[in-house]
Amino acid sequence: MIPGNKDTRDGIIFSLPFLVVYLAFMIYPLLSGLYISFFKWDILSTASFVGLDNYRTLFSDEKFYSSLWHTLQFVLMTTPTLLIAGFVMALAITGTSPWKGIMENVFFFPYIFSMTVVSTLWAWLMQKDWGIFNQVLITIGQNPVSWLTNEKLAMWSVALTTLWWTAGFNMVLFGAGIKQIPKEIYESASIDGATYLQRVRHITIPLVSSTTVLCLILQIIASFNVFGQVYVMTGGGPHGTTRVLVQYIYETGFKFFKMGYSAAMSYILFLIILVVSILQYTLLGRKEDA
Amino acid sequence: MKKQILLVALVAILASGMLFAQGAAETKAEGPIEITFWSLFTGGDGEFFDAMVKEFNASQSAIVMKNDMVKFDNYYTKLTTALAAKTAPDVVVVHQGNLLNYVPSGSLLALDSYVDATTLADFQQAPLDACRFDGKLYSLPFDVHPIVMYYNKDLMAKAGITKVPQSAQEFIEASQKVKQVTGKWGMAIDNTTGVYKAYTLARLFMSMLAQQGGSLLNADATAPAFNNAYGEAALKWLQDLVHVYKVNPTELDYDAAMNTFKLGEAAFYFNGVWATGTLEKTAGLNFGAAPLPAIMGGEAAWAGSHTLAIPVQKNQDPKRVEAAMTFIKWMTSHGEMWAKAGHIPTRKSVAQKSEMKALPYRADYAAAAAFALPTPRTAAWEEIYGTLSDKLEFAVTKNQNPKAALADMEQTVKNIIASY
Repeated sequence: MIPGNKDTRDGIIFSLPFLVVYLAFMIYPLLSGLYISFFKWDILSTASFVGLDNYRTLFSDEKFYSSLWHTLQFVLMTTPTLLIAGFVMALAITGTSPWKGIMENVFFFPYIFSMTVVSTLWAWLMQKDWGIFNQVLITIGQNPVSWLTNEKLAMWSVALTTLWWTAGFNMVLFGAGIKQIPKEIYESASIDGATYLQRVRHITIPLVSSTTVLCLILQIIASFNVFGQVYVMTGGGPHGTTRVLVQYIYETGFKFFKMGYSAAMSYILFLIILVVSILQYTLLGRKEDA
Repeated sequence: MKKQILLVALVAILASGMLFAQGAAETKAEGPIEITFWSLFTGGDGEFFDAMVKEFNASQSAIVMKNDMVKFDNYYTKLTTALAAKTAPDVVVVHQGNLLNYVPSGSLLALDSYVDATTLADFQQAPLDACRFDGKLYSLPFDVHPIVMYYNKDLMAKAGITKVPQSAQEFIEASQKVKQVTGKWGMAIDNTTGVYKAYTLARLFMSMLAQQGGSLLNADATAPAFNNAYGEAALKWLQDLVHVYKVNPTELDYDAAMNTFKLGEAAFYFNGVWATGTLEKTAGLNFGAAPLPAIMGGEAAWAGSHTLAIPVQKNQDPKRVEAAMTFIKWMTSHGEMWAKAGHIPTRKSVAQKSEMKALPYRADYAAAAAFALPTPRTAAWEEIYGTLSDKLEFAVTKNQNPKAALADMEQTVKNIIASY
């Protein structure tokens, strides 16, 4: 130990700039959100304590369930597709193709745009009467598709947009994972006569599993929090069939002035994400050790 | 690298300095008073509003108005949080229907002592009264914007229709004729959520209930009042246009409806008066505008109203309130400029101005302001309005049994009201 150097004191001092911000902008709002969820409050007037009423209402609110279900649909649609797309892209950019540099840029490119830009762009592409997608379909003699105004398709369209937008991020994570696998393993497998697909299946996939778990957890959290794309592209329509939970939370809070109820729903969503993440982490993590 | 960090830090310091400087300027006594305003006018009406603010600033030297535009979708979120933190600008625009969200909590300043009787007498009674709560005036109406009818004159001529349809039956007949002769749509009533909900359905539904002598909610806005023959007639007409007579497209969202009419693909179109400015700019569109016809017999039309209000501040500076009032009075008394966007001005003196009379279309539907429906006074309104739009969208696009649809809507509205 260096004389005059107090590790604990210095440690605290060096962490302070971060800790202060973290406490003020993460921990405090988190706790005050929980506090608000026990009140009936319209932001502007004095709040009145209602105990667990908000939570009780929530469990009999049909709109809460339907919004949660729509969110879940989105999670189920996007999580596997985004993982697979990211992985396949990562394979492409870590392979031997002379185009891999260009591909890496092309695949990652959409991710740099903001949500609003991407959603607005795709909303125009998918517009029923004048959008490019339907114009192309008409030219090749197909019937136009109601991408965003048909209840069966609307969520898929939003999911497709999200796939285009964020798959590049998973590609970067998987790419990093794949690059860490020692070349020798592949070489010896090749010498033993393993084909490309066999190498991917028996070497790459098992050895990037920790990256897969990371991607899965990040992806599920991100998908549960979906809001922007839906809000911009479908507005929650047609007739509320794509209204997701975060949208409902936003509307109850800022449009209907039910801050307490809105906070209570946020906490339920928080709990769901927490439980799912812990489950994934323990179940998948254990499998890896075995 | 180090230099860059230094540069960033320097910029940050300068920027934060400017923030404080702005605060300091507020108390400065010399020179013109600078007051701030947030507007939600981003669509076609935004440019007309900006032009008015510019003209106001040029017309006098005592007050400088700084206008900050906020996207309509986020406007009320931003306003609400600013009001809660008491950092709202000096003047804000609030829809008459949204006033009830802010008045009971005392977030808006009562204006009675700041407006003289002569000015008040110049306002039309109905929109002015709509800004009063418990006898106190909380804002001044800037405009009234009822739902009106637009019709394509060329399509009507081609189809051989000489009279603008008025009744439910006439609309069906005229629309069928348009479809048979020209192959275009008769009507373009939006019925699907896109960027906006299918509010047009809710607006027409409300209007048509009132046209039969009914109303959406009971008199004190505590219970739904539409699950009856009136509601059935109104909903059935909206459904039949799409499913029985097939003269209105299905899965039509707000923007698509507007474009359908703009491109001359539909003969009759219903929207708020704010569409006038945009339609006028459409080359090759020969259209007319009229107050909402008495589709169900009587005269009534949904209407909104932009009103100008002054938020309560932590330390309310009387000078700034006075400046804000001057601005509000100037804006309302120059309504002929605002009418260019399509809206109907609220001051009697404006209606007399020659500039106002010279504007096309506006005179055709100005009468609609007389039978504009007030927004029901309940804190639950925003949720009722949005939810009903969704339910009507479902009922119309899915051709749901009207009785079942109304019963479901009634129960939903009851639950919503009970939750406030």
